[in-house]
Amino acid sequence: MAAETAAIETEALTKRYGKHRGIEDVTFSVRPGEVFGFLGPNGAGKTTTIRTLLDLIHPTAGTARLFGLDSRRDSVAIRARLGNLPGDFGFGRETPGRQALHLLARLRGIDGIGRAEELAQRFRADLDRPLGQLSRGNRQKIGLILATFHRPELLILDEPTSGLDPLMQEEFLALVAEERDRGAAVFLSSHELDEVQRVCDRVGIVRGGRLVAVERMADLLGKARRRFTVELADPAGAERLRSLPEVADFELAGNRVSFSAGGDLDAVVRELAGHHVVDIEATHPSLEEVFLGYYDEREAG
Amino acid sequence: MSRQLGALVATHLFDRRRSVWAWGIPLGLMSAFIVAIFPSVESSISKAVEGYPQGLKEAFGIGELSNVEQYLHAEMLSLIVPLALGYLAVRAVASGLTGAAEAGRLDVLLSAPVSRTRLVAAGFLATAVELALVLLVTGALTGIGSLLSGAGLAAGPAIEGFANVWPLALLFAGLGIVAAGFSLRTSVVTGSVAGALVAMYVLDLVGRLDPDLSGVRYLSVFKYYGNAIEEGIDPLAFAGVTLVACLLAAVGAWLFERRDLAA
Repeated sequence: MAAETAAIETEALTKRYGKHRGIEDVTFSVRPGEVFGFLGPNGAGKTTTIRTLLDLIHPTAGTARLFGLDSRRDSVAIRARLGNLPGDFGFGRETPGRQALHLLARLRGIDGIGRAEELAQRFRADLDRPLGQLSRGNRQKIGLILATFHRPELLILDEPTSGLDPLMQEEFLALVAEERDRGAAVFLSSHELDEVQRVCDRVGIVRGGRLVAVERMADLLGKARRRFTVELADPAGAERLRSLPEVADFELAGNRVSFSAGGDLDAVVRELAGHHVVDIEATHPSLEEVFLGYYDEREAG
Repeated sequence: MSRQLGALVATHLFDRRRSVWAWGIPLGLMSAFIVAIFPSVESSISKAVEGYPQGLKEAFGIGELSNVEQYLHAEMLSLIVPLALGYLAVRAVASGLTGAAEAGRLDVLLSAPVSRTRLVAAGFLATAVELALVLLVTGALTGIGSLLSGAGLAAGPAIEGFANVWPLALLFAGLGIVAAGFSLRTSVVTGSVAGALVAMYVLDLVGRLDPDLSGVRYLSVFKYYGNAIEEGIDPLAFAGVTLVACLLAAVGAWLFERRDLAA
């Protein structure tokens, strides 16, 4: 059986702007039917990566292939198969969404605007008002419809939920899951960690223009340190937990000890077994904590 | 014309529909006014012109002002209409490229399977149509002014006079595309090309005033502009300037294809 062609595959993709940093040696792939989160704070290189994939900017070095096609040479053929929501979506103040949709449909060689009406109802988007008269969130809905109405094989979404209210964010996450289920690949750039945690299969963490980690979401969260709060009948000797190499942030208050621990927890459990444990609570960290931890760790390193 | 190109040109024209009236009506009303007052100022103007220095008359292309066509050329077609249309041309072409980039539209359009060259071609073609429409409105209002005032403006020469502005203005659209190959800022593109427009006019003027400097006129498109309302359109100059405008657009498209469209 032939290997499945990646929707996106980059190899040491690099973009430099003179002395200014863009992205450096970015290598990753996104498979069809996968939601890939691209995480990083503003200025980390997320948008530069997206613009390079779309051939809006040209790489200084390295390659990007989408559907097995070269991002530069085959840019037009690639764009026929993808949908893109730019980070700061705009189209012109006087243009209504419906007009923009009709233009995009004609440019894509599609008769009519496909499922745009259905999506407009779902997102409660007004297709007939000029974009300049819409709030940022309502403009963003039009952008989402423009990116998805033609059922693309690859969706590239740059900060897609910025401006959307919580209800519409839920609807958006449901749409992303549906797109994945029908086999589309989704490349989602975001600093909204909650949405990434809920919908992404894998995440890449970008920092200072470099991709510092690519992990399955479950692995990323699994590797992270968990927070334990333990109530002991008698706290005497509990201080010994502090000396264990797996334990950090140790605090003792009355009969209650709290600490974070990661990796192999056998030593922690053995130490606690020497006490009468009244209650124990373990909290998995959010992606936000993992993400911030990743940044702190790297900066310290 | 391909479906994509047609869609882009139609959209560009729709977006700039107001510009046809915003530029055509004021220029047309001004021309109509010039034509309409000619019968009442004819004798005094002729006397005044006789007193002008010869160099001044040559510099501004003022010959005899014994008929309304000559007066229309001197007052409108030798300076105001070409400069206005040249500036309109660069604004129009910039709106489809740098303006679209600033509004975020370019990113959306280039998410579709459209080449940048096609986008540039659409902007250039739409600008060519827009210029023709503005000239049509201006010419039509001028004709109406002549009819109402009984100035007797001859239709054929007037049409040639206004039509002759089209390739000159289109050349500045071509220059605008070249400028967009270097900068995506509308102010830079319109400013630099408007500067070139004025500089070319001044070079032509200097070349006319000083025979020793007549060579500098070759740097200016105004050398090839002439006086079509009196002498008819020079087909070679008309075709040549149009061709240069197209070549500039092609060079601009080549530059635009290769540049980064940075956020």
